[in-house]
Amino acid sequence: MARIVILGAGISGHTAALHLQRQLKNKHEIVVVSPNSNWNWIPSNIWVGVGKMAKSQVTFPLAPIYQRKHIVFRQAKAVAIHPEGDINESQGFVDIVYTDPTRVSEEERLAYDYLIVATGPKLNFAATPGLGPEGNSWSVCTANHAEQSSAALEKIIEALKAGERKTLVIGVGHGTCTCEGAAFEYTFNVEHELRERGVRELADVVYLSNEYDLGDLGVGGMIFAQNGFETSSKLWTESLFRERGVRAILRAHVEKVDPGVIHYEDLDGAHHTLDFDFAMLLPPFRGVEMKAYAKNGDDITDALFAPNGFLRVDADYATKPYEEWAPEDWPKTYQCPRYDNVFGVGIAFAPPHAISEPRKSPNGTVISPAPPRTGMPSGVMGRTVALSIVDRIHRGGEAKLRTASMADMGAACIASAGTGLRRGSAAAITMFPIIPDRRRFPGTGRDLTQTSGEIGLSGHWTKLLLHYLFIYKAKARFGWFLIPE
Amino acid sequence: MEPMSEVDRNIAEAPLPTKGTLRRRKSLGYQVTRFVAFNFRMMKMVTRAHH
Repeated sequence: MARIVILGAGISGHTAALHLQRQLKNKHEIVVVSPNSNWNWIPSNIWVGVGKMAKSQVTFPLAPIYQRKHIVFRQAKAVAIHPEGDINESQGFVDIVYTDPTRVSEEERLAYDYLIVATGPKLNFAATPGLGPEGNSWSVCTANHAEQSSAALEKIIEALKAGERKTLVIGVGHGTCTCEGAAFEYTFNVEHELRERGVRELADVVYLSNEYDLGDLGVGGMIFAQNGFETSSKLWTESLFRERGVRAILRAHVEKVDPGVIHYEDLDGAHHTLDFDFAMLLPPFRGVEMKAYAKNGDDITDALFAPNGFLRVDADYATKPYEEWAPEDWPKTYQCPRYDNVFGVGIAFAPPHAISEPRKSPNGTVISPAPPRTGMPSGVMGRTVALSIVDRIHRGGEAKLRTASMADMGAACIASAGTGLRRGSAAAITMFPIIPDRRRFPGTGRDLTQTSGEIGLSGHWTKLLLHYLFIYKAKARFGWFLIPE
Repeated sequence: MEPMSEVDRNIAEAPLPTKGTLRRRKSLGYQVTRFVAFNFRMMKMVTRAHH
């Protein structure tokens, strides 16, 4: 009997666990380790952040699902990987520390035959002094953060109702952030909410981002074919900003967030301040803090993990100029090059480089988005690695690994711009491939027949549909596997 | 008064949707067809990602 240990129960890890259980039944042991007791459909956190959904609508407890599916669940965080075992143990294992309130701080050693690292990101608020809910700005990265943001927004709306003028700044809180799409969504959901509540006139809404142009979204922007023309996501997004009266500050690295004042540097190297009454700024990500040790106890953390803390997989990590970036740089199997029974999926794998063009200010400050890894590719990676492991268990170590490169995968992104079954709207985007390929698709980098964007009420319906579908799937209810990732 | 930044200028010069476009974005009948079309496109992409 093989034991597969999955570190993390987000979209990628949870998807992998469910597919492994479905394929292996109860003949092998699947163990999920997650410091969180709840699963969270993160794309809907923005609706919690404007008070349109309760936290309970975007989260549910993992333990009953895993109990029903006969998956072992450890509410704990992994602190170290020993891929070669140690002097007493020939099998690889991970050290975990419980966060389960009934066993808090208890340690355990978990041996594995296969390990999937799907730990997601560490929300690195510490990279920017004053950033985050424990500092001077809000976040929607977790359901709890979103709930706090909603309460703070409500106070601002009350002040606006009393006739006060307020500045609301929404965006990213560091020059290397990713998830600009989430900041975009929250900006327009807040703007929509202010209009619905009749206080828009007194509010200045400002979008603050590290993108070079609007519509970059960390994927280097997109080209759409629309009405007989090739239109850029830049122009398309600028149009939405003009229509909704939202100001944008781009090419910005937030250096510090003081109470009511954001300090930022721009790509020209100039330093600015921006006063605010409400700020929701997303943090940069890095890998969770985990060590790795060789059999003899030597620290091999730097060999297993990239400097940003994400797991090295089968990507090409050679440093090369932007002009030489190629789709082949991106991983296909998500297998760790040093240990063939270790895989990294979702946000936990180290990307070879960004997707957007890298830029630095004259002061050497990096101001360009890190590559996003949204729900759809994360789910596909989780499923692909799960099926690769199933193949290896059934057919032996020589079974060919399955592939799911972001350079050969499309993505759909539904960016909400306001809620309401009759009054909501969203920017519905599809792109193929996620990683631009200028050799296959000269000029645009992507297939124009599969890369599209449209704004309207139907986008909101689609986002709402996905909310219910993916929560249904994550709860492993009847026929869950028929819902694709 | 500060000069307009490049970003501000780009937004100020971006095309505004016409009344017809804004109406279509909210029109239930039209949006039902867009909902079907977008979801069909998305399913095609998803199916491709799974094979």
